[in-house]
Amino acid sequence: MDPMEALVAQIRGLSSCAGDLSRLQSILKQADDSLRFDSTRLSAVLSQLDPSKHSLGCLYILEASTAGPVSKEQADILVPVIARFINSSAAEHIRMAPDKFASVCKRLKDQVMLLNVPVRGVAPLLTAVRKLQTTTEHLTPLHPEFLLLCLLSKCYKAGLSILEDDVFEIDQPRDLFLYCYYGGMICIGQKRFKKALELLHNVVTAPMSTINAIAVEAYKKYILVSLIQHGQFSTNLPKYTSSVAQRNLKGFCQPYYELANIYSTGKIAELESYVETNREKFENDNNLGLVKQVVLSMYKQNIQRLTQTYLTLSLQDIANTVHLNSPKEAETHVLQMIQDGEIFATINQKDGMVRFLEDPEQHKSCEMIEHIDSSIQRIMALSRKLTAMDEQISCDQLYLSKAGRERHRYDFDDFDSVPQRFNI
Amino acid sequence: MDFSMLTATMASKSFEKIADICDNIMLQVAAEGIAYQDEWPYAIHLLGHIYVDDINSARFLWKSIPSSIKENQPEVSAAWKIGQRLWTRDYGGVHEAIRGFEWSQELQVLVAAFSELYTKKIFQLLQSAYSTISIQDAAFFLGMNGDDATNYVLQQGWAVDLASHMLTVKKQVIMSEQKLDPSKLQRLTEYVFHLEHR
Repeated sequence: MDPMEALVAQIRGLSSCAGDLSRLQSILKQADDSLRFDSTRLSAVLSQLDPSKHSLGCLYILEASTAGPVSKEQADILVPVIARFINSSAAEHIRMAPDKFASVCKRLKDQVMLLNVPVRGVAPLLTAVRKLQTTTEHLTPLHPEFLLLCLLSKCYKAGLSILEDDVFEIDQPRDLFLYCYYGGMICIGQKRFKKALELLHNVVTAPMSTINAIAVEAYKKYILVSLIQHGQFSTNLPKYTSSVAQRNLKGFCQPYYELANIYSTGKIAELESYVETNREKFENDNNLGLVKQVVLSMYKQNIQRLTQTYLTLSLQDIANTVHLNSPKEAETHVLQMIQDGEIFATINQKDGMVRFLEDPEQHKSCEMIEHIDSSIQRIMALSRKLTAMDEQISCDQLYLSKAGRERHRYDFDDFDSVPQRFNI
Repeated sequence: MDFSMLTATMASKSFEKIADICDNIMLQVAAEGIAYQDEWPYAIHLLGHIYVDDINSARFLWKSIPSSIKENQPEVSAAWKIGQRLWTRDYGGVHEAIRGFEWSQELQVLVAAFSELYTKKIFQLLQSAYSTISIQDAAFFLGMNGDDATNYVLQQGWAVDLASHMLTVKKQVIMSEQKLDPSKLQRLTEYVFHLEHR
C-alpha cells in the first residue's frame, strides 16, 4: 500500500476523540518527510478527507505540500483550497498545531499578494484569527497578516473588528509591533486618531533590546497624529520606554521633530513653507497625506485656543488671528468644528460674532453614569490582571535569581522585599 | 453571488444595514475567487457607507473600484460625487449631487431616504451652530430655495425678519434621560466607599 494511502486511512480513523488525535499527531510528525510530495497530487489526497472532520490531518498535508515556492498558476489553484480549509476546519484540531496552521495561513497571504488580489485573503484570515485564538485577549501571529491584507485591499473597516479587542497575551514581540503599526495605520485611515495614537504609542514604548524599523516608522506617525489630535507633541517618552528607544528614536525622525517645533509656534505660513521644502522626505516616508492633515489641524488648534480666552469674538477677528482670508472662511472653520463636537459655540451672522460656550454635558445623564461605570469596570479588570501578573513574576525563578544576584548593587531599602537569593 | 439579503434589506428600507451586508458579501465572494467587480452593485455599496456617514469607507471603496467601471457606469461616479462633496464639506454641493443625476429605479428610494436624512442633520447642525443666519445661507445649506427654506424653519419655530433677510434660530432644549436606576447609584457609592476606606 502506498504510504500516502496508509496515512490517509489513519487520518480517517483517528480523528474523532482527543486521545486518538494526539496519537495521530505523533504519527503525522514522523511522517512529515513523506508528506512533502508533489503538490499536484494535493487535491486527489485532500478529496479523500473531510476538512471539517479530519482537520488535523488535512493541516499537516496542506502545510507540507505547500512548503515550496509556487508559481502564479499554482497559487490560483491553492488559494481557494486553503481558504476552504480555513473556513471548515475544526478549531480544536488546528489549535493542536498552531505553528502549522499559522504557516499555512501565511502562505495564503503570500499567494494572494503574489496574485495581486489581497482582498481574497481578508475574510479567510479573519476566520483564521478567530479560530486560532483561545480568547480575544490573545494576539496570534495572524493578526498582523490580516491587518496588512486589510490595508492593501483598502478594506480598512474590516480591520477595525479585531482592533477593538484588548490584547494581553502575545506569542512573539514582532507580532505586537506589526499589529500595532498596521492597526495604527488603519485607524488613521478611518480618522480614529485617538485609537491610532494609543496603538502607535504601544509600538514606541514596547520593550526592545535593539532599535527596529517598525518602531522608527511608528514614531514618525506618532508625532504627526499627536499634533493632529492634541495640537502638541511631547519629546519626552514615558519612563517605561526602553533605553534604546529613548536614545535613538529622535535621530531617525529629525524632520518630524522640526515640524513639531514649528507647529508649536502656531505660525501657519512657516509650517507650510517647512512642509514644502521638506516635501520629498515626507513623501518618501509615505507620510505626506498625514503631514497635510497636520497643517490643516493648525487652524483648528488656533481657533480652539481662542475659546479659552474669549467669550465672544467677531468672525473678522478670528480670521485675522488664525490667518484665514475672510470672515466667511472663519465661519466655515467654526461651523465644521461645531459639527465635529470640537468646540461649543454659536454663530451670530447678523452681528458677525461668535459666542463660545461651555460644554453642555452636566455629567448627570443616565448615559454618562453608564459610561463612568463601564470605565471603572474596565480599570478594575485591568488592575486585577496587573496584580496577577505581578504575582506571577515574583514567583518566577529567572526573575528571582537575577534580582537576587544584583541586589548588592543597590541600596538595601530600595529592594526590601526581594530575597537575598532564591535557589529552587 | 447571492444578493437575496441585500435585496430584502433594500425592500424593507433598513438602509443603515446596507454597508455591512455589502462588505460581508464582497469579502466572501472575493475569498471564493469570483471575479465580482463587473457585476458588483458599487453604487448601492457606496451609498450604503454614505447613508451611515462613513465617508472614509466610501472613499476607500471608491479607490478600489477598477477604472473601467468608474468610466462606464455613470451611476457609480454619481454616487461617489455625493461622497466627495461630503468629504470636502461642500454642504450645498451635496444637494446638487443628489439632484444632478437621473437615478435608476433601484436607487431612487435609497437616495431619497439619504436626502431626507441629510436635510434633517443639516437643519440640526444649523440649529446648534447659529443664533441668527441669513435666509440665503440657510437655503444653501438645506438645498432649497429661499421661500421653501423659510417655511421649513418657521415650522420648527424659528422667526424671520424679512427686512434684514435674517432668520432667528429657536434653540431646542434637549431632554436627556435623567432618571437613574438606583442600583447604578448604589454601585458608584460602593466604589467611592471602597476608595475612601482603603
